[in-house]
Amino acid sequence: MDKGLKKTILNISAIGLLFFALWLFDRYGTEYHVRILNNIAVFIILAVSYNLVNGICGVLHLGPNAFITIGAYTSALLTMSPAEKKISFIIEPLIWPLSVIQVPFWMSLIIAGLVSTVFAFLISYPVFRVRGDYLAIVTLGFGEVVRVLCNALQGVTNGPLGLKGLKPYTNLWWSWAIAVITIVVIQRLINSSWGRAMKAIREDEIAAKAMGIDPFRHLLMAFLINAFFSGVAGGLLAHLITTISPTLFTFFLTFNLLMIIVVGGLGSTTGAVIGATLFAWGSEALRIVESPMQIGSLYIPGIPGMRMVIFSVILMVVIIFARKGIMGQREFSWDWVFAKIKRKHT
Amino acid sequence: MGQIFFQTQNLTMQFGGLVAVHNFSIKIEPHEIIGLIGPNGAGKTTVFNMITGNLIPTSGKIIWLDRDITALQPHYITTLGIARTFQNIRLFGNLSVLDNVMVSYHHRLKSSFWDAMLRTRRYRSEEKHIREEAFRILTMVGLDHFAREPASSLPYGQQRKLEIARALATNPKLLLLDEPAAGMNPQETLELARFVRSLRDSFDLTLIVIEHDMKFVMGLCERIVVLVYGHTIAEGRPEDIQHHPEVIKAYLGEKRHARY
Repeated sequence: MDKGLKKTILNISAIGLLFFALWLFDRYGTEYHVRILNNIAVFIILAVSYNLVNGICGVLHLGPNAFITIGAYTSALLTMSPAEKKISFIIEPLIWPLSVIQVPFWMSLIIAGLVSTVFAFLISYPVFRVRGDYLAIVTLGFGEVVRVLCNALQGVTNGPLGLKGLKPYTNLWWSWAIAVITIVVIQRLINSSWGRAMKAIREDEIAAKAMGIDPFRHLLMAFLINAFFSGVAGGLLAHLITTISPTLFTFFLTFNLLMIIVVGGLGSTTGAVIGATLFAWGSEALRIVESPMQIGSLYIPGIPGMRMVIFSVILMVVIIFARKGIMGQREFSWDWVFAKIKRKHT
Repeated sequence: MGQIFFQTQNLTMQFGGLVAVHNFSIKIEPHEIIGLIGPNGAGKTTVFNMITGNLIPTSGKIIWLDRDITALQPHYITTLGIARTFQNIRLFGNLSVLDNVMVSYHHRLKSSFWDAMLRTRRYRSEEKHIREEAFRILTMVGLDHFAREPASSLPYGQQRKLEIARALATNPKLLLLDEPAAGMNPQETLELARFVRSLRDSFDLTLIVIEHDMKFVMGLCERIVVLVYGHTIAEGRPEDIQHHPEVIKAYLGEKRHARY
């Protein structure tokens, strides 16, 4: 059989299997399982697209939380009914066009992505004038600016009160369908001539320029694509948590994403998926360590934040013993699976 | 009067109080091989950096095919047909040898971004064409066996060859080689000279070569420019340069020690 066709069939069956598993969870799983799975999907979207900027282009971008926030607010404001908005905005009424608009969930997600992209475009010029630590600081600063604006613009974001009572539209189908789309889009981009150019910029920007590659254009492309998916994921998160406030998506979230892609392996989509899964699952499973414990005669009271200590330890262990993360820059491929199977048989 | 192929007019580069290059003027005709020599710190690489747009000259002009290209963006200058290699090798270390060369075709890609995302027939055939072309260039420099290896795993001499292959893939008319023979043994240097000359003929190239290996430069170049402390002290055929008193004094040492 044609190798390309074979892989397409395998890919489609893998996705089919995934959705069958999701169907099983949707039908027979507990609410707890469903929540973890939704979280995993959202983190996959965030990590895979974030990896495009940090892992493939090699730019230390520390502001995805800004785009997640923008996406979350945009999507939430678009799905709330005018009546709900009137009740929510008690201190200052919502400004005019937003106060009457209501669109379906799917459309709000796309608009959320686009609005994030527009903001990313607006800050792209100052961002890509600098590199390295300076770029990190500019993007970090933008994240803070967005948080402050969310607090201050009462007429748009309802300020510190946030938006409450959003409809829990996000279900397994939405989150996982978008996660699959994200992976496919990012993978296709990485494995195209554009992805190659982005990697060249990561490896050596001066040499890339000498080979005719315009760094600004390519970094901008990655930055905008990341912003789009961050915005969409923000919309999903808003309708998963159903309550958003300016302090919900802080730098802390960016730090988690950074941890995910570093542990998974910078530059590897497979690594980002594994990292996101471990993180989203781990942060639920590790709730045990935050509850009071009795080990023998030793009593440990519940310490909130213990999970983060464990994550930090894992991060340090990875950085000391496996500097390239779980996957390094490698990717999962069917060829690799075939090779493994073949070796077992001979 | 015909077209100006390549010319620099009074190119000067100042870093603060230091004049790295002073009034560098040269005119090059198609198909020439020019040698740029001089002691360390003479400003040879600075000249390359100005031509390729990595440095913006303090004053002076660079004309390429009748067009003023002074201070244009480096990547844009490459698309106009001027390519270079680097003295301190700058390969894309984690990319495969083949990918290193394929990167150079990106600026000439005709397919759109959406073609690439949707993997249209147009994109796939272009990608296939690029892969074949890149492979052809690798075969020419003798690196086809390493195509799938990461570039950083190559031995030093091969890395230099890959630098040349990568620059060739951008489809240049003018190629700037910055110390291509550095770290090569005499035998390899000899082969390199032969290779560079064959490149000139098969790719219809014009070359400017910076090199410290006098045997290499004298054997390869048709015209040599000598830079000392940013000043052009001599220009001419290799035989004349060898006997030029200023050059001997400044660069090759006293006459009785000179190898030529």
